[in-house]
Amino acid sequence: MAPVTFSNVQKSYGVHPVIHGVDIDIADGEFVVLVGPSGCGKSTLLRMLAGLETISDGDIVIDDTVVNDLEPKQRDIAMVFQNYALYPHMTVADNMGFSLHHRGASKTEIKERVDWAAGILGLDTYLERRPGQLSGGQRQRVAMGRAIVRDPKVFLFDEPLSNLDAKLRVVMRGEIKALHQKLKTTTIYVTHDQVEAMTMADKIVVLNGGRIEQIGSPLDLYDNPVNQFVAAFIGSPSMNFIEGHVEGANFVTGDAQLPAPTALPNGKPVVYGVRPEHFRLDPAGGIKAEVVVVEPMGSETQVTMQIAGQNVFGIFRERVSARPGEVLTLGVDQAHTHLFDAGSGLRLSAA
Amino acid sequence: MKSDLSPRMKVAVYGLMLVLLIPFVFPTWWMVTSSVKPISDIFAFPPEIIPSRFDFSTYRQAFELQPFAQQYWNSAYIAAIVTCGTLLFSAMAGYAFARIDFPFANALFMVLLVGLLIPSEVTIVPLFQIFLGWDMINTHWPLILVPVFGAPSVFATFVMRQFFIALPKELEEAARVDGLGRFKIFWTIALPLAKPALGAVAIFTFLHSWNLYLEPIVFLSSPEKFTLPQALTQFTDAYGGAMWNIQLAAATMTAIPVLIVFVIAQRQFVEGLAHTGLKG
Amino acid sequence: MTVVATHSDPPRRKRVFWTMDRRDSLVGYLFIAPQVLGICIFVLLPLALVFWYSLHEWNVLARTFRFTGTENYQRLLSDPGLLKVLGATGIFSVFLVVFNMSLALLLAVLLNQKLRGITIFRTLFFSPVVVSLVAWTIVWSFLLQNNGGLNGILQVVGIEGPNWLRNPTTAMISVVVVQVFKNVGLNMILFLAALQGVPKELYEAARVDGIPAVAQFRRITLPMISPTVLLTSIITIVGSLQVFAQIAVLTKGGPGMSTTVLVYYLYQQAFEFHKFGYGATLSILLFLIVAVLTFVQWQMRKRIVFYEK
Repeated sequence: MAPVTFSNVQKSYGVHPVIHGVDIDIADGEFVVLVGPSGCGKSTLLRMLAGLETISDGDIVIDDTVVNDLEPKQRDIAMVFQNYALYPHMTVADNMGFSLHHRGASKTEIKERVDWAAGILGLDTYLERRPGQLSGGQRQRVAMGRAIVRDPKVFLFDEPLSNLDAKLRVVMRGEIKALHQKLKTTTIYVTHDQVEAMTMADKIVVLNGGRIEQIGSPLDLYDNPVNQFVAAFIGSPSMNFIEGHVEGANFVTGDAQLPAPTALPNGKPVVYGVRPEHFRLDPAGGIKAEVVVVEPMGSETQVTMQIAGQNVFGIFRERVSARPGEVLTLGVDQAHTHLFDAGSGLRLSAA
Repeated sequence: MKSDLSPRMKVAVYGLMLVLLIPFVFPTWWMVTSSVKPISDIFAFPPEIIPSRFDFSTYRQAFELQPFAQQYWNSAYIAAIVTCGTLLFSAMAGYAFARIDFPFANALFMVLLVGLLIPSEVTIVPLFQIFLGWDMINTHWPLILVPVFGAPSVFATFVMRQFFIALPKELEEAARVDGLGRFKIFWTIALPLAKPALGAVAIFTFLHSWNLYLEPIVFLSSPEKFTLPQALTQFTDAYGGAMWNIQLAAATMTAIPVLIVFVIAQRQFVEGLAHTGLKG
Repeated sequence: MTVVATHSDPPRRKRVFWTMDRRDSLVGYLFIAPQVLGICIFVLLPLALVFWYSLHEWNVLARTFRFTGTENYQRLLSDPGLLKVLGATGIFSVFLVVFNMSLALLLAVLLNQKLRGITIFRTLFFSPVVVSLVAWTIVWSFLLQNNGGLNGILQVVGIEGPNWLRNPTTAMISVVVVQVFKNVGLNMILFLAALQGVPKELYEAARVDGIPAVAQFRRITLPMISPTVLLTSIITIVGSLQVFAQIAVLTKGGPGMSTTVLVYYLYQQAFEFHKFGYGATLSILLFLIVAVLTFVQWQMRKRIVFYEK
């Protein structure tokens, strides 16, 4: 177990920069998720930490040691790959014991550790099989087993669940989380799926275009996104954005008025952000929305509407029986609304 | 198996294939049967498809007329060394060109391409001079060095490179994280997984060396150094006429062991060829 | 930054010479070193020497070695033997390629039928490939003798066979046929793989549309396997230029010079008549022919790969 620090880490392929100076501090035992759209540099960062990619500038520190030029084997990390990367010519037990074997562990020690890991992951009866004879979820567990047997300083996960079907993904998500709570090893987890990030992380790092957009706890990011990118990326379904301007204590778009969270100079062009779940059916709310599509889900009702000609999406606990074309009267939870600068996309605060 | 051919078409296809088989199979049959006929019967008329009398002394005479056992050993050990050497060097080079980033990789690969372009027939004259200078004429060195480093092994390198390119990169990255350096990754991950490609390369390298004819007759002069193909042509009487039945006995001994291995492992032969044949 | 580092500031990065990239490059060079050095010593050096030798008159027996410039090349152009040799080489290669390709295609189509025991046929058709080349040639030589097996069988059915290896025309046919039966199995397997690579749906669609079998073969099968056919034909032509043992064992280039192909002529000049300079010049000629053919193959492959994409 160990803390990990990225300081001003940069990476370029030739003259083409892909990581523009990234700083992340990861405390001992923390579960950090790197999340972002494809091509944002999250996997590159992870692979630089693993030693599979070189670092163009800056430092990566694991447990007070600069590892920039250390081989992966000298970094004492373990990694779970997206396609599992199990050695097809070895049994499950050999796959899991492989790294110990190459670090000179004795046979009894290897067996002890492999049995321990297999016990945790429920792989006891599969140890003599080959990866080709296992299901996707079992292979995933073997890949995790291979990582935990060694008790490394840091676990790295590179989109480990994206080859699984939706149902199994939920199960494995829970297992990885439970495993972390049991072992308390520093974990860095890369995914493009914000649901995985939200449900698993102690701390989320949102990346975009090789830069960090925001670092924070899941709920922190959900409640206080620093900009429109993070606001849109975190949370599902995505936050609604309505273009308009400020007038007094209100946000105005067309003939509609919505209560603004902060007071700003009149006439300033802004983007108003509100999450679908923060709309409510409220005859006193004063916001008129014309229904486009109603999707009853049973537990909730999802409604696509138009406010002053702009599409918005709402989720209501009630059952809504409105027909397309009808007008609903809505209210919003003012504490959960945001204003973003129309130009820079940064969140505007009262200060 | 379900066939979409009508019964009449089936009979036609079988019939055609049986007729076509004759020139493929009959020579081998004729070689084996003639090698056990007494000399008086081998040109008998009408030809004896199935021998009426047997004379196995031809096999003993093959060993008496020439140091045939020695020649057999020469061919076998040369082919074995050439095969092992080619496997090792082509796997190493193929792996490096497929997997390791190093400066000038493309330029160096072009150098190998040139090697593929030049059949050993083109360079046989200077090779003779080079080996003469090294005092290696009438030794087996040329028969080992030229195939292991020349065009045949470049072809093998291409085959291996294609194979390693297709191998998932994550396997090696996992191995690096598991604590292996390049050499160990190569030995414990890449090579074991490359068995099908190595098998194909081994088969064709062995056959190439086993069949080599121009190089032995250029480089070797004394019968105890000869390899089999060269030795086979030397079973002649005092007037240079072929001693057919003894020659055919020696030919049988040369051909049949390889043929038996082929029949046992024919799937690897054929599929290895189909997978790697066109990728050079 | 939401979490403050709990440990001391990292030590300043030290620049090391043996970075991971450099170490890995070193391993790369080590891995290719035997092969690349080998090519330099056993292929590129001899290639350079062959050019050098071709500018000399060099008779090993007479122990002469003197620089003659382009004399060997002038001799090449006026060598009456060479015309015959190139003619024989051309006829041999063309006949060999046409016969080899047609037979390979026919066999592949037959073997592509779903019939019981087809693997046995495949094995038997392929078997000459693994029979020792010289052994195979010796048997054919034995069969093709004037009083040999082939004429014996022909006589049984009342045909007077020619003296195959002593007549210029039949000698050429013989060397081609012996070589084709020896190696056609290789192309047969490549064609068979190509045939099996044609999507079944194409044939099913054609059958639904009522297209007869012959038209299916011409309009679907042949275009789909044409890349394989083109590439194997070039490989086969280049291979045909290297045929030596068969000629040496069957005809020794005769009768006359009717089967003296370029490689055999080269061998004779250099190692029987000991004219190394002229042998080197013939090597250059062989090299140029092979290089041109290989270049054509490369261009074709590029175009085909492009076309496939």
